[in-house]
This record gives sequence, C-alpha cells and structure tokens, in this order.
Amino acid sequence: MLDNAISVKSVNKYYGAHHALKGINLDVPQGQTLVVCGPSGSGKSTLIRTMNGLESIASGQLEVLGLDIADDARNLEAVRKKVGMVFQNFNLFPHLTILENCVLPQIRSVGRDRAAATVEAMDQLKKMHVDIHAEKYPDQLSGGQKQRVALARALCLKPEVMLFDEPTSALDPEMISEVLDVMQELAKENMTIVCVTHEMGFAQAVADSVLLMADGEIVEQGTPDQMFNNPQHAVTRQFMDVVKK
Amino acid sequence: MSTSVVPPLPKQGFGNWLKKHFFSTWLNSVFTVIFGAVLIWMCIKLSNWAILDAIWSVDNKEHCGHGAGACWAVIQDRGRLIMFGLYPYEEQWRSTLACLIVILTIGLSCLPSFWSIKKLPALWVIGFGTFVLLMRGGFAGLPLVTSEQWGGLSLTIFIFSAVFVLGMPLAVVFALARRSSLPVIAKGTGLFIDLVRSLPLLTILFAAAVVVPLLVPDWLEGNKLGRVVVAFAVFFAVYQAEIIRAGLQSTSQGQEEAAAALGMPYWSLVVDILLPQAFRNTLPSTINQAVITFKETSIVTIIGFFEVMASGNAAIGGGEWTEQFVEVYVFLALVYFVFVFGLSRYGAWLENRMRVGHA
Repeated sequence: MLDNAISVKSVNKYYGAHHALKGINLDVPQGQTLVVCGPSGSGKSTLIRTMNGLESIASGQLEVLGLDIADDARNLEAVRKKVGMVFQNFNLFPHLTILENCVLPQIRSVGRDRAAATVEAMDQLKKMHVDIHAEKYPDQLSGGQKQRVALARALCLKPEVMLFDEPTSALDPEMISEVLDVMQELAKENMTIVCVTHEMGFAQAVADSVLLMADGEIVEQGTPDQMFNNPQHAVTRQFMDVVKK
Repeated sequence: MSTSVVPPLPKQGFGNWLKKHFFSTWLNSVFTVIFGAVLIWMCIKLSNWAILDAIWSVDNKEHCGHGAGACWAVIQDRGRLIMFGLYPYEEQWRSTLACLIVILTIGLSCLPSFWSIKKLPALWVIGFGTFVLLMRGGFAGLPLVTSEQWGGLSLTIFIFSAVFVLGMPLAVVFALARRSSLPVIAKGTGLFIDLVRSLPLLTILFAAAVVVPLLVPDWLEGNKLGRVVVAFAVFFAVYQAEIIRAGLQSTSQGQEEAAAALGMPYWSLVVDILLPQAFRNTLPSTINQAVITFKETSIVTIIGFFEVMASGNAAIGGGEWTEQFVEVYVFLALVYFVFVFGLSRYGAWLENRMRVGHA
C-alpha cells in the first residue's frame, strides 16, 4: 500500500512574472485530512488545483496515487477519474437535472451503463440528503444543496482522494454547517482529503494536519492543536488571530 | 389586535379593462376614437378588396381590374408556376410530396426529443435523401428531372433547409476551431471567417455557380445546385460560428473545469456540456440568422434558379397577368410570412421551455 496519496516535490508555478508557488514540498498520507489555509493570494487554491492538473506546473515533481502527473497526460487522465473535486462555485451543469449531473460523468468518464449509474447517483444523492431534488435543475436549489449535489456527483466516481477548494466560501452562513457535516462524515470514512478552507472549526474537528501558506510558500504545517494553540511563526499567529475572531 | 392587510383587488371585467387601457384620460379617449375609426375603415376596405369584391375564378377573368377587388384568379391560373417553377406539370405531385417530406423533417428536427447525435443525422439523411430521389427521379418509372428544372416553393424550402443542415455542423466546427489552443488553427479559422464575411453573398454564389467549374476538374464539379448550396452553407456557417462562439464564451470557465476534474473527455465536454448551453444562450440570434437565411434564398434567382420569388415574377411577366402584380406579391408575402412567423413562434416556444429548465 502506498504511504502517500499525494506527493509534491519542489513545485514551482508562475503566472507571467508572478511566482505563485515557490518550491513547494508536501506529502499527504493516505486516509488523512489536510486543511490548507492562508490569506487570499497566498497560492493555496493554485496548489490544490495542481493536484488534479487544472493548473500546470513549471517545474518539480507531482505524484498523485503513485502516478506522475507533471509530464504525463495519460496519467493525468487516470488520476482525474480517481480524484474528485468540489469547487467554491459548485460548477453544476445548469442545463441538466440533479440526477443527470451525477449520471452523465459516470457514463462519460468511467463508461458505466446508465442503469448502474442511476442507482449509484441516487445512492450518493441520498447520502447527501438531496435525493428528493433529483428531478430538479441546479437553479432551483439553495447554495448548500448545490454544494452537496456537487459532492455527490464527485463521489459517484468512487474517488480515492477528494479536493475541496473553499467549498463553503460562497454559501450563506446558515448553510455552511450542512456542507461541513457531510464533509466530516467523509473524513471519518478515511477518505484522503485536501481542503482549502477558513473554517477552523472544521479543521479542529477532523484535520490530521493543518498547513498555512503565504506568498506562494508553506509557512508552517502541524497538527490543528499545534497550529491553533502554539504557532511557531509570526505569520501563523497573526493569521490565526484573524480567523478565530 | 392586528388586522390583516389585504391588497386591493384589481377591478375585474371587460368594461374596466377597456377603461384602463383605452379611456383612462380624455386625450387617450380621443386617440382611441380616431385610431379606432381609421382601423375599422382600413379593415372594411381591406376585406372588400381581398374578399368581398375579389375575383376568385379564372372564368371571371374579364372582370379583373374594372373596379373589382383583388384578382385572385391569377393565383388559380399561375399558382402552380409559383409553387413549382419549371418543374414538369405532370410530375408536380412529386414536388408536392417532396416538399411535405422536407417540412415534416424540419418539424421533427424541431422537437427536443429528436435532439440526439444519432437521431438527427439519421432523420436528415432519410428526409433529404427522399427529397432528392423524389425530385430527381430517373428510377422506377419516374422520369428524370434535373435540378435545373427544380423551382418554386419546394426549391426555396430545399435550399433553406439544406443550407441550415450543412451549415450548422460547419458552424460548430468553425466556432470550436476558432477557440482552439493551437494558434495555427485558431488564427487560420479566424482569417477564413473574416474573409468570407467580407464578401457579399451574391459574389460567393456567383463564384460557386460560374467560376468553380472553370477551375476544378470535371469530376469535382458536381451539379450547380449542389455547389450553390455548399457555398451558401459556408456563408451561413461563418455567421452562425460567431453566434455559437459568443454562446461558448458565455458559459463559465467553471463548467470546463468541473468536466475536466470529473475526468470527462474533451468531446463530451463539448457535446454534453458546452454546446447545449451555447445554443440555449444564443437562441434568439440563431433564430434571427435562420430567418435572414430563409429570406436570402431569393438571391439564387440571379444565377438562374427559379425559387418562389423568381417564379412569382415569372407568373406576372407572361403578359396575361401583368396587372396583377399586387395580388402575386401579397400571396408571396403570405408564403414568406407563414414560414418566418412559424420560425419565430418556434423560437419563442423553445426559449420559454428552456427558461422553465427543461430541454
């Protein structure tokens, strides 16, 4: 069995002249939950988006589930089928029903037949408590419901790793917990999770490790307890003071 | 104690409706009376001309023009010319049947339940195949009628639908090519689109009909109608490609990212995710383009095809009916109106249906 689901070695990334990721080194052990936080523009979203190839990298090594995705397009294709992602803006397909949102990717990306895909989709929608909305369209759902559909859609492909890019940032406050609840359940089921979030309650409850980024670099990484109660760096201390308020 | 506040009910009834919309102020009342009178006068005049005083039968032809109303006898006498052009008289049932088949094909393609990558092409191959076989004949005892003799309404409908059916997939290809990440393809397509758009349709059709046969070897020449339809389709496609490109640009970046993250292949992203949204976002412009194209088909008369407009001109050009041009043009206008109005009602229905969230 692999020890690390994701392994990042000296990864650099540029946007024009802007050095977005500066020699990042990071390992995410299998079954663990890593929470990435940091001020906006620190590169945390960029980092998580390199993990399924939505952002290319300039140099360095990037292995996901034992496959090198930095240079090999075929590996990237294979990895995307095993790595699910949930976005800040849900990115549901607006012209398809909730059910079809979950069924179509299964048919197109892993070649499941429609009947099996429908059973799987209903199963996942039920787990996310949105199965009663199966025949509705995304526009008819609240933000929290949309995000749970997006999660169900990703889980239909039976991913081994889940990436969350600020999953609750676009939600009204009263809907945040309904999304965090289902994410917590997922974390308890030993899914490997990388989550960019400012929800420190979530980090405290389920994270095995918390990482703080600033200016394209990893400032500090440690257990939630360490990071919240005994941060080593001034930047971490400052950031934690802000988000705890 | 609290009393519930009930919003005032709008006054019901025809009288109130009339008062609200037509007699709300004295100025409104004056205008209502004046324009009402003008409207009624016009209606009486029009119905007298078009119906009551009209002459319907060729047998009463001698009364035409002498203070009588519309002389619809011209339609009875020359209707077949307008509808079928130079198509041989005894074979015109074939043209009628072919026309109905294409209209049925168009009607079926308008139904969302036919919108699949297998059903639509199958429908079109069968529909257009039958049209061409019937019109052309030359088998099973049906005399051969070459496309030079095709004409009238059936030619108009054929050109329009063939241009649409060939042009639409071409437009999709152009739109995708122009967005390609390979600069050669993107720039090349952009240049081609700009080039074709900068030429008048007339020039392009003329080149296809007259110049192309001089340049290409015989076996590549095809027939004149075929060349004209292809050239027309390319012209349609460059405009429609820009409409589709606008639709693609209006879909969010997130859609592509979601599909990529879910491991969906590129063709699926395009066919299942981007194009349906692009078409839905640009439906009004697409219907607009279809209407323009339908009316532009009359331009093929310049290269010797007798579509419905040219056939109409031929009907009044014969000497016998020269004074009845108004009747013929009114009839032609009605024919165009039926199709264009049908198209725009269909567009409105589709938009409404999509707003509800289906399709």
